Amino acid sequence: MTPATGQLRPIDTAAVPPVLEMRGIAKRFGATQALEDVSLTLRPGEIHALLGENGAGKSTLIKIMTGVYQPDRGEIRLAGKPVTVGSAAEGQIHGIAAIYQEPLLFPDLNVAENIFVSHQNRGAVTNWRQMFREAESILASLGVALDVRSPARGLTLAAQQSVEIAKAISLNVRVLIMDEPTASLSAHEVAQLFRLVRDLRSKGVAILFVSHRMEEVFQIADTVTVFRDGRLISTRPAAEVTPQKAIADMVGREMGLFQRRAAAKKGEKLLAVRGLARAGVFEGVSFDVHRGEVLGFAGLIGAGRTDVGLALFGIEPATSGTIELNGAAHVIRSPRQAMALGIAYVSEDRRQLGLSLPMSISANISLPVLARYLSRLGLIRTGEERATAEAFRKRLSIRTPNVDLAVGKLSGGNQQKVMLSKWLNTRPALLILDEPTRGIDVGAKAEVHAMIGELAAEGIGIILISSDLPEVLAMSDRVLVMREGRQMAILDGDSATSQTVMTAAMGQEMAA
Amino acid sequence: MRWLQRHIRPEQIREFSLLLLIVAAVLIFGSMIDGYYTSRTFNRIASSVAIITVVAVGQTLVVLTRNIDLAVGSIVGCTAYFTGAQLAAHHGLPPVVAVLIAMALGCAMGAINGALVAYGRVPSIIVTLGSLAIYRGILIDYSGARTVTTDSLPKWLIDLPRLNFITIGDLDIRAMFALAVGIVVLFQIGTSFLNVARRFYAMGSNPDAAELIGMPTRQIVFSAFVLSGTLSGLAGFMFLARFGNITVEAARGMELQVVAAVVVGGVNIFGGSGTVFGAMLGAIMIAILEQSLFRLQISEFWRDAILGLLILMAVASDAVILNRLRAIWSRTELKLVTRPGTGAAP
Repeated sequence: MTPATGQLRPIDTAAVPPVLEMRGIAKRFGATQALEDVSLTLRPGEIHALLGENGAGKSTLIKIMTGVYQPDRGEIRLAGKPVTVGSAAEGQIHGIAAIYQEPLLFPDLNVAENIFVSHQNRGAVTNWRQMFREAESILASLGVALDVRSPARGLTLAAQQSVEIAKAISLNVRVLIMDEPTASLSAHEVAQLFRLVRDLRSKGVAILFVSHRMEEVFQIADTVTVFRDGRLISTRPAAEVTPQKAIADMVGREMGLFQRRAAAKKGEKLLAVRGLARAGVFEGVSFDVHRGEVLGFAGLIGAGRTDVGLALFGIEPATSGTIELNGAAHVIRSPRQAMALGIAYVSEDRRQLGLSLPMSISANISLPVLARYLSRLGLIRTGEERATAEAFRKRLSIRTPNVDLAVGKLSGGNQQKVMLSKWLNTRPALLILDEPTRGIDVGAKAEVHAMIGELAAEGIGIILISSDLPEVLAMSDRVLVMREGRQMAILDGDSATSQTVMTAAMGQEMAA
Repeated sequence: MRWLQRHIRPEQIREFSLLLLIVAAVLIFGSMIDGYYTSRTFNRIASSVAIITVVAVGQTLVVLTRNIDLAVGSIVGCTAYFTGAQLAAHHGLPPVVAVLIAMALGCAMGAINGALVAYGRVPSIIVTLGSLAIYRGILIDYSGARTVTTDSLPKWLIDLPRLNFITIGDLDIRAMFALAVGIVVLFQIGTSFLNVARRFYAMGSNPDAAELIGMPTRQIVFSAFVLSGTLSGLAGFMFLARFGNITVEAARGMELQVVAAVVVGGVNIFGGSGTVFGAMLGAIMIAILEQSLFRLQISEFWRDAILGLLILMAVASDAVILNRLRAIWSRTELKLVTRPGTGAAP
């Protein structure tokens, strides 16, 4: 095994023979070298974190491990023996399983059947009684109480992941790959998940853990491997790495976690919200946003932050309370009306609410204000449309060969920038950003952050909803904290620290 | 309520309410039509149910995989005519061979649809809309617009519809109806307990996940269409036995009845949920409506319109009522509880 550049000796688990070895793996897609000479070793009872920006090659490596892709070069060894993993089904026979950010369950099948669905040799006839019993005992061993007879439809994301883990256990996995499993979980659910992961580790399972959340990686990983541009940059014991070091490896340069945004000059009052509520969802939300101000919305998943955003933008209108824009009261009932009032909402869900993936970048950007691009005959002036897209491409450095490309072909970070462009093109006075950096890489994140700063400096009022606490703290002038549909506190400037925000979000009494 | 929720699923409530609806329909029509509660009415409805049910079982499998088979009417027509023509020409053909001919022809027609959908990756609504017209066109060309007539058929076939399977009091259970019930029982057990058949549900429930865990998704779709075609072939034989006179128009528009039966029977048109038994209930509901409206001398066009309305109502109730029920169920039951104090504390 040829050590890659910068690779250090692994930790004391080195004594244990590896369960999975990838040696000199290479994979090319057309002109892109997705992986180049990657060698990675997983040992039983090890949680191995994989870090890297989007497009660094993590997903490709995972797909090669699970048999979805075949490597162009290189060798995979399982418990010392060379193997080929020809398909996902073969991967499972070898004891390699993967859990994705969005669990891949069958909503109409019950929990037990979901757990056992991929068992190749469970006979021709389903013994329901036995299946229920075994499913119950596996879930019990995980300390999870779920009705195994219920369909998987309607399970919370965390419960779905428990089912995925139960599935992995039932298959006697030796290698479990977790691709951003925490991206949509609340802090409490992450803690539960980590407990299950540590359980698996103690059972001798090798776990490959992919995450963009640095603090989680260092909380749970034994070994940290960093990828950049399809190459393995470093593999080190977690104890010898700091977040700054890992980020430096990822981006190839030293870089602070987040640069704190310089507070902009606060302009006049733009938005005043009083006692806003949507029956059964959230209530008692009151705040002001000034021009040039970034108001952060912090809280756990499901605290109702997004719902406030949806209410302000008229997608799910508020049922009581008042909204004043520039001193005039408005009842916002539809997105069309909100847009006319100068409100833009950049959704957390890029695929469903935000972008039309098959359409070109320029068509996406002009969509909300298409009337502006119509000629007298009612036809679209594509030249102008393209010019606008071109301008945004430069301003937000969207990486694409041209603006006629379908948005679906772009990476997550670049899609996010197109979405931002689309809404900036409506020339909003108030911009609501909902999880603007979820699932995008560190470099793109920094660019989005810089953009938020610039927009605030131009006098746009910004509401920043984010589950990434360091991000909220670094970007916001003030932070509004929500918990279970209620507004807990508005913390400004210096009083907003991760300590105070989390205290409020968890519903604890504030220490005086 | 808790006991109810633990032992009964929203889908079953739906099937039960359809059963109540059927009873209500019978009572209402019984009060409107003189001499409704006779064995004659029962047999009329039962023989109509038998044919629709057999096709609806196959359709259920197709719909479970998120597809639709609109060609079933044409397949029934083709197999009825072709088998009838063979029997007219060769009176000595054994009954078993005649049934096998019908099923083999239906199987081949279903296989063409299945291959185009599963391996050609053409949406099933396009493929089967095309083959609906093509198969009918082939039938018109093959038949030369001639008709298979009852008197040209062997006697055993003409007598088949009145063949009794069992007689309970005044009610004669005809063999063809018993056959349909047998097929429903067979497929209901199969889809509940055979792992191969559970794949239809898995595949329709989440095709991406099915692909990712290495399920042979194309084979699953292909076999659904093959089974639908084969059962339509069998139904074609039953159609021939029931009507005797087969024109090129035979079973035209049957796809509407069949899709209505499946959807009214609670099979989710987006795949993944529903049962063969439900589809049979749907077929019964539709046959009752058809026969009763016929007895009330309501025009055929209105009957089709009512079928259409029924489809829309079924889909709407699926979207609203079933989701509401599921929400109630999941609120009280599907809470994730973790045992405290196990594993390492973070």
